[in-house]
Formats: sequence, C-alpha cells, structure tokens
Amino acid sequence: MIFAMFRVMLLGLLRDRFALAATFLLPPLVFVIFVTVFAGASGEAVRLRLAVADQADSTSSRRLVAALFAEPQLRAQPNRSGNTVDAVREEVRAGRVDAGLVMLSDPAGAGAPFLLITDPTRAMAAPLIESHVQNALAVHVPGIDVGRPRALFLHDPISGAKKGKGMVIYYAGAVTMLFALFSALYGALSLIEERNAGIADRILAGPAGLAPAIGGKFLFIVLQGLLQAGSIFLVAQLLYGAPVKARLLFWLITSGAAATCAAGLAMGLVAFCRNRDQAQLIGVCLFLMLAVIGGAMAPSFTMPPWLQAVGLLTPHAWVIDTYQAVLWRDAGWRSVYPAWGVLTGLGLAGLMLAYVTVRRVRR
Amino acid sequence: MNDNRPILNVWGAEHTYRSRRYLKGVDLTLRAGEIYALLGPAGAGKATLVQAICGRIPLSAGDIALVGQNPRETPISRSALGLVPHAMALYDHMTVRENLLTFGRMAGVHGRTLRDAVRQAMHVTRIADYEREPVGRLSDGEQRRVNIACAILHSPRLLILDEPSVGADPVAREALDGAVRDLRDGGMAILMATGDLDLAGELADRVGFMREGRKVLEGAPRQLITQAFGEEMEILVQLDEDPDGDDMVVLAAAGLERRDRTNIWTTLDAGAYATAARLDRDLRQMGVVPREIRVRQPSLANLFNMVADWQQAA
Repeated sequence: MIFAMFRVMLLGLLRDRFALAATFLLPPLVFVIFVTVFAGASGEAVRLRLAVADQADSTSSRRLVAALFAEPQLRAQPNRSGNTVDAVREEVRAGRVDAGLVMLSDPAGAGAPFLLITDPTRAMAAPLIESHVQNALAVHVPGIDVGRPRALFLHDPISGAKKGKGMVIYYAGAVTMLFALFSALYGALSLIEERNAGIADRILAGPAGLAPAIGGKFLFIVLQGLLQAGSIFLVAQLLYGAPVKARLLFWLITSGAAATCAAGLAMGLVAFCRNRDQAQLIGVCLFLMLAVIGGAMAPSFTMPPWLQAVGLLTPHAWVIDTYQAVLWRDAGWRSVYPAWGVLTGLGLAGLMLAYVTVRRVRR
Repeated sequence: MNDNRPILNVWGAEHTYRSRRYLKGVDLTLRAGEIYALLGPAGAGKATLVQAICGRIPLSAGDIALVGQNPRETPISRSALGLVPHAMALYDHMTVRENLLTFGRMAGVHGRTLRDAVRQAMHVTRIADYEREPVGRLSDGEQRRVNIACAILHSPRLLILDEPSVGADPVAREALDGAVRDLRDGGMAILMATGDLDLAGELADRVGFMREGRKVLEGAPRQLITQAFGEEMEILVQLDEDPDGDDMVVLAAAGLERRDRTNIWTTLDAGAYATAARLDRDLRQMGVVPREIRVRQPSLANLFNMVADWQQAA
C-alpha cells in the first residue's frame, strides 16, 4: 500500500514537466539569482558607472584619471557631454551614470580638489567612489598624503528635491510593478476557470467569438493596475512628497503603460498553463525572479553589470526607470516615450498570445 | 412552426487530427421544431461533431451549413446557434439574473430586448424563483436549467445541448424535459449530444447513433425500435440473490442473459408474456421468488446494445 501510493506520487511528478521543473530546476535558479543580486557571490563586485571631468588638468589629476579608468571595479569614463560641473550633473541626473567626479583643482594642492556629484537614490555610490579615489591617490599619485586629515571631497547631491524622495519614487515604482503583476495574475486566472467551466466554449460558439471577452478582461485588469498604482503613489505624495500631482499626465501614462504590461504578461502566461495550480506556481516564481532581477527588491546599480543588462529585459527595470525619469529627473516626452512604447507593446503582445492560445481547441 | 428548410446541414463531415480520424463522413440534417439526439459512447465523435458545427474546428472533408452558411467561415451565422456546454458554464458568484444579463450581452442582446429575453428564458426554463440566488447555491438540476437559459437569450434557431441531464435528479429532470419540449414547440431546432438513452427516448424526434466517428443508424426512436425488434418485447427478471446452477438453467433456457454484474436478467422475445409467465412458475417451483418480472417495450438502450454488438462483430 505504501509503495503503491509512493509510485502514484512518483509517476505524477515524473509525468508533469512543469512540476519537475518547479521542483528541481527552479529552486537552484532562484538561489543563484538571489545570491547574485543580494550577496555578490558570483565573484563580480559592484561596478559603478562614474563620469569624470578633469578641470584641473595637472600631472597628478591626469594620473588619477588614468588610474580610475583602469580600475576594474569601476566603469569610469570621461564625461561625454563636457567638462563642466553642469554637464556632469546632467549625466547623473539622467541616470546614465551612478555618480560624477569633477576634479576642480590639482589633487596635490590645497583645499578640496574633488566635487562628487551623486544621485540620492544611489546613496551607497558616494562612499564607494570616495574609497576608490582615495585608494587610487595612494597607489598612483605619489607625494600625496591621503592619511593627512583633509577634506578631499565636496558633495553635490543632484537635486532641488529633498533628500530621499528619489528613493521613495524608486520603491513606489518597484512596488507598483510587483503588485500589478500579482494582481493581474490573480485576475487572469479566471481564463483557466472559464475554460474549465465551459464558459469559453459558450462564448466561442457565439458570433463575436472570444475577442470581446478577452478584451473586457484585459481592460479590467489594466484599470485595476492603474488604480493600484494610484493608491501607492497617493501615499507617496501625501507622506513623502513625491511630485505626482505636478507631473500627473506623465505619471498617468507611465502607470497606464505599466498596468497594460502587467495585464498582458499575466494573461499570456495564464493562457499557456493547463490548470490554476500550474499558473499560480509559475506566475509567482517568474514574477518574483523578474522583480529581483529588475531591481524591484535591491537597486540594480548594486548588481554585476551582466545582471544589470539582463535586468533591462524585465518590465520592472523599465517601470522603475520611467517613474524616476518622470517624477525625479523631470524628464520630457522624448526621454520616456520609448519606455512607454516598450511596456505597452509587451502588454499587447501578451494579450495577443492569450487570445490565440485560448482560442485554440484543446483535445 | 415546422419549416421545411433545414436549420443545419452536415454533408460528409470528416475531421482528422494528428493522423487520427475523429469524424468519418457524417451526414446530418436538422429542421426547425425538431429534437435530434446524437447518441454514442465516449469517443464516438459526438463532441467533435458539435465542435465542428460550432465552427471551432475545421473539417478535413465535407461541409456544414448553419442557416445556409458555414459557421467557421461566416462567424455571423453563429448568432443562430446557442450552445449549452456539458459543464456548468456559469459564474458561481453571480446571481441567476446577473448570469443571464452577462451572457445575453455577450451574445449581442441589449436593453429592453435583453430584459424581455431574460424574463422569457427564466419562464421557459422554470428558474424565475431563483432569479436573485447566486448560482453557486443552486442544485445541479437547477444549474442545468440556468445553463440552458443562458444559451437561448438571443433566440437561436439551433440549440445544442451537450449532456444536458447529467446530475439532474428526477424532479429537475422533469423540469428539464419540459423546458426542452417548450423550446422545440417554439420552433427551435435542438441537437442533443448525450449518452442518456432514456432522455433521448423521451424527447427526441430522431436519434443518430455514432460509433468510432461514423453515424451508424438514424431515425425516429419508435420506428427504429420497431424495425429492429418487430413484435419482440423485453423481459426483465430481477432476483434477490445469485441464482444457483438449476436456476441458471431455467433462466438460460428462456434465453435470458445477465445484465453486467447485476442480479437482473433480460432477453427479447416475441412471445414475451407467455415466456414471463412460464419463467415465474418455474422459478417459484424451484423455491425462488423473483423480486420483479417485467415485460416492456424495447428501448433505445436495447437498440444501442444491438448496434454495439454489430460493431464488435464487424
């Protein structure tokens, strides 16, 4: 009896490819991703992007710049838009680099020779870069006593805005996308329930087919996501002063694109699954992994560069970056419309996939 | 209400999927005000034929015309179709009325027309009393009728019922029968795919037996039964206990065969009343008092078994 039941369970597992994958492939995969994101156990350290402007143009500063460019734990490069403080600040503000370093005067001279321009949403970048600069000075620029008590750095957090607001927007965007996907998944599960109950058959037998029914479901999930985003950003505005009201139209379009993306992805995924349990398991695991890789749980600039590149394939990275662009960096239409397009396109592709899959006859 | 023009025509329908032939040249004609029962065991091809009529699957050969148009190529023709799926295709968390309004709108009925259609559908299917009940709280039989009501809101000319009587208790079954008859009398053509031979015998004007993708027999139930069995009647003997060797000899001598593994024995006999009387006497002489000896008209079940035997022999 015991063996018979054991065999039933074993065959059930062996003959269900999704269950097999969820049992044996998914856990190590999730482990590797979590370790890579949260502990840097892959061996690759955080590699910050640093824009450097050398206004001093002295022997020491040139040596320091060369040393910083050669530093493997940094992705330092000359500031692409010019050598001025404003130009560096703009690069940081646009999020193209994690921090900017302006060499105001000869490092060997008196006073504070460096201006460190940082984004408050990437607060840990400042101490890391200070440490790299001090290290480079000690090793590559002889004659400078870095041990001597002296203020080397002037700090310029980009802004206008009060400190911490950028981080609020970051996490508001992250939480919005995380919950938009989970809520959409829950709503999309009705596709499976309707298929099992024969409701899909009934609708498909009618002249209008399935398109209006799928469309209605999609619209509801999008609206639900939009309202959910509204509730999150309302709190962000009321408690933390996030400038939602001032950029309402930009926020609305970004939230609409995020909700569309979540609805489409969830419906496309659910349409592919055979039953509710399978859809829930795959959906939760997949959306959690996307959230981790996309920077919804830990800022993506702390991840290894390859993972940051992979993160760009997740909707979370696009959503977070777009919210930051419109609410924190005051970006204009031209900067964000590609992101809106990508998110909306992903959502519509998922919707089409759901439509085609549900319409297919299953024997 | 009968109209001579067929609502549904199926000519030589064939469907092959992954090298398996699910339909092998099926013909079918259905007219207004007619109930047609498609009978056959699981896997006979009933569901595939229904899917083809609904335009869900393409035919490998043959053609289908629903009110004169191919339902797959001309989706608008499907507005003449109402499908009652085998499963309860209803939203459990919504009331009966809310379900009806929802499916009515999905079928393209709106406003006052929809409200009138809902009232009429509830009346015909005898569910008006549960109008405000959530569907999840209704019995299976009641849900079956709501399932039908949801399919007739747009006044389809052809109603397809897939296993309509599953889970219906006798009271619900009576209400279901009444509803189907009323719809037929109202001029609707009704196609039932069912394994319930009693339901088909009671309701259908014509039946078609399907087996392994083919329609093997078709006609009015009474006419088919008369053709197949002539003057023969069915004798049914039910015993309280397993018969011993001598009892078996008596039963076998009268041509009775055991039905499955029950204590019920049956045969078809042209002189059924005399045979039944003789059996009763012989069994009592051997100390066996049958619980029941019944003589009755052969049914579709007998015909179904006969067709199955033909097929096995073939």
